[in-house]
Amino acid sequence: MKQALKFVAWVAVALAGASALGAIALHRGEPLNATWFVVAAVCCYLVAYRFYSAFLAAKVFALDDTRATPAERHEDGRDFVPTNKWVLFGHHFAAIAGPGPLIGPTLAAQFGYLPGTLWLIAGAALAGCVQDFVILFCSIRRDGKTLGGMAREEVSARGGLIAQLAVLAIMVILLAVVALVVVNALKSSPWGTFTLAMTIPIALVLGVYLRFIRPGRVFEASIAGVLLVLLAVVAGQWVAASPSWAEAFTFGGVSLAFIVIAYGFAAAVLPVWLLLAPRDYLSAFIKTGAILCLAGGILLVRPQVLMPPLTKFIDGSGPVFAGKIFPFCFITIACGAISGFHSLISSGTTPKMILREGQARLIGYGAMLLESFVGVMAMVAACAMSPGVYFAINSPAGIVGATPEAAAAKISSWGYALDAQTMTRLAHAVGEQTLLNRAGGAPSLAVGMAQIFSNTIGGERLLSIWYHFAIMFEALFILTVLDAGTRVGRFMIQELGGRIWKPLGRRSWLPGIIIASALIVGAWGYFLYQGVVDPLGGINSLWPLFGIANQLLAAVALVVATTILLKMKRLRWIWVTLVPMAMLIAVTMTASYQKIFDANPNLGFLSKANQLAAQIAAGQIPAEKIVETQRLIFNQRLDAAVTAVLAGMILLLLLEALMQWYSILRGQPEVALCETPYIASRWTEGFSPGIAHGDD
Amino acid sequence: MRVLQEMPRLAARAAHHFWSRLREWCGDAAYERYLRSNATHSGMPRILNAQEFYVEQTNRRYSQPNRCC
Repeated sequence: MKQALKFVAWVAVALAGASALGAIALHRGEPLNATWFVVAAVCCYLVAYRFYSAFLAAKVFALDDTRATPAERHEDGRDFVPTNKWVLFGHHFAAIAGPGPLIGPTLAAQFGYLPGTLWLIAGAALAGCVQDFVILFCSIRRDGKTLGGMAREEVSARGGLIAQLAVLAIMVILLAVVALVVVNALKSSPWGTFTLAMTIPIALVLGVYLRFIRPGRVFEASIAGVLLVLLAVVAGQWVAASPSWAEAFTFGGVSLAFIVIAYGFAAAVLPVWLLLAPRDYLSAFIKTGAILCLAGGILLVRPQVLMPPLTKFIDGSGPVFAGKIFPFCFITIACGAISGFHSLISSGTTPKMILREGQARLIGYGAMLLESFVGVMAMVAACAMSPGVYFAINSPAGIVGATPEAAAAKISSWGYALDAQTMTRLAHAVGEQTLLNRAGGAPSLAVGMAQIFSNTIGGERLLSIWYHFAIMFEALFILTVLDAGTRVGRFMIQELGGRIWKPLGRRSWLPGIIIASALIVGAWGYFLYQGVVDPLGGINSLWPLFGIANQLLAAVALVVATTILLKMKRLRWIWVTLVPMAMLIAVTMTASYQKIFDANPNLGFLSKANQLAAQIAAGQIPAEKIVETQRLIFNQRLDAAVTAVLAGMILLLLLEALMQWYSILRGQPEVALCETPYIASRWTEGFSPGIAHGDD
Repeated sequence: MRVLQEMPRLAARAAHHFWSRLREWCGDAAYERYLRSNATHSGMPRILNAQEFYVEQTNRRYSQPNRCC
């Protein structure tokens, strides 16, 4: 009887999900209610978790709760800490949920809501969650080894070095693109800039409190910090209203870029307890709170989705970024469906804290499903505004013009009605001078979130406060990614540089710290500057580059996982990683090829460089702009070279792996699985490490 | 009736559970956990005080990727 009821319940969930997906896919004409998106996503996630992840856990990985995890074997109260599964789920989710699942879907809304939503749901269930789960499982079985370490042991030494270099290169692009999102969001916005600037002294006070006054009391310090940040959001309106204060906090793109670069350098060099750690605590609390509020707001308001399912820009002529649905929808969505960066978290702290192997299913697979849901919510928030407004905010001045009138005329000519006064009124309502040409996704997401929040609490009166709360929330945790990433990049450079020049490898040697910090900040700072001065807004070239880099890292993780599954003699189930890997390689190689060689100058880096060079040769560029244009030509060629290097590294790794797979399939004896030997857990039956150790 | 009598106790237990999980999640309980860990009971040369532990823990945590895109 119980079994029959269960069966009926799961059939009902599956049917509800299929109906909601059908409604999303087939609905035309009238706006669609956001509830359909929530039902479709939640039902698909439930079915995927209940059946697919259970299949992976039981048949493919054969998770074994009797086997001691690294947290049990090496428990030291520092790195190896057995942790309650829900606490660890929270840790893992806070670590993997960054700006990507919010920004990516917002940008991909240019194609309409349908392609992005389908990929967010299907991509997460069949690829992203599988990657996070399999890498977590592999790392648990190898004493918490990193992705690079596993690549070195299981693929080849060369493979490990390639993975390490790929991570560093990807980090540079990632940091540049997230910094660009912040710069575009704060450009000419004294309110936003003031609020974010205030988070620095607040973090410094918190840092001193946590270090000297109440060491490690993160909760009370963070709550006080969050209240101060909220006060700064409210105070920002008075700053914006005062001519002298507003002037002091109004910056152009280039000035902001240099401020962010200086901040990144300071965060990498200063003691971590002073600035980086307290900012991260603030960010974690605000991020979790804002995501819960957004989910609650969408469920309460149930906004109408005004964006059509497909826009005319599926042909590749989009103003936000160029390129067709395949491959650029996948590249743009990136983290909301599958993120290579997650493999660094799944092979970082999480495997060292997991209590039992079986919990890897909830933490690896489940946390990624939740991240995908954040992506779906971002898609709803972006598509809940009228398409005309969406394109006005996200299109660069080089395409739609810099005045409300020009933008309205251009966007209306595409078939998305917009009048100039709408943009002026909206900018006024959110407390900004203008919302035009804010490429990067953050401002349009903030408008969408503010509309949802203000419909829940406060109405039109609080729209400006909600807008700046959303901007602060996005910018705060983007800067947290920036400073934490810069610091990790510094360590990577020191580690790699230490192989060539020993003193550079010493983490406490001050000149080494400064040189390595300057190198990593200089690298991402250069790309940031390039994006800021790009007439097409920078996002057009940098976000796809970031997406390609991120998806290539995911391909690296899946190559390593496939090799390990082959060594585990799971040939029958190899498709679980092989299919997403092949899909990602097809997507990233197509995108790389198009970004380098496509004849359309808005898409191909080289054709853009050639077009600009031809304009100089034909005398079409004024004399005072020639140096600037030559710099643009150099940047386009540099982007082409970076894309080629990234693609080349992954092809090399794939080649290494193919040779390894060949040896495995031929049954050569020297190909061994580098798993930690089985040790029986003391914690499986009858023994409970108790609340202190986080057991249930 | 019995359920009603049990309610305050159950609520207090749930609140205590939630609070201890929250402290673990945000890091408040890290030092207590360190003091309870096997390592501190099995001949460590010196047990760190709360301040030293906090600095050491933040240094360690932020020297590897712990925040994603």
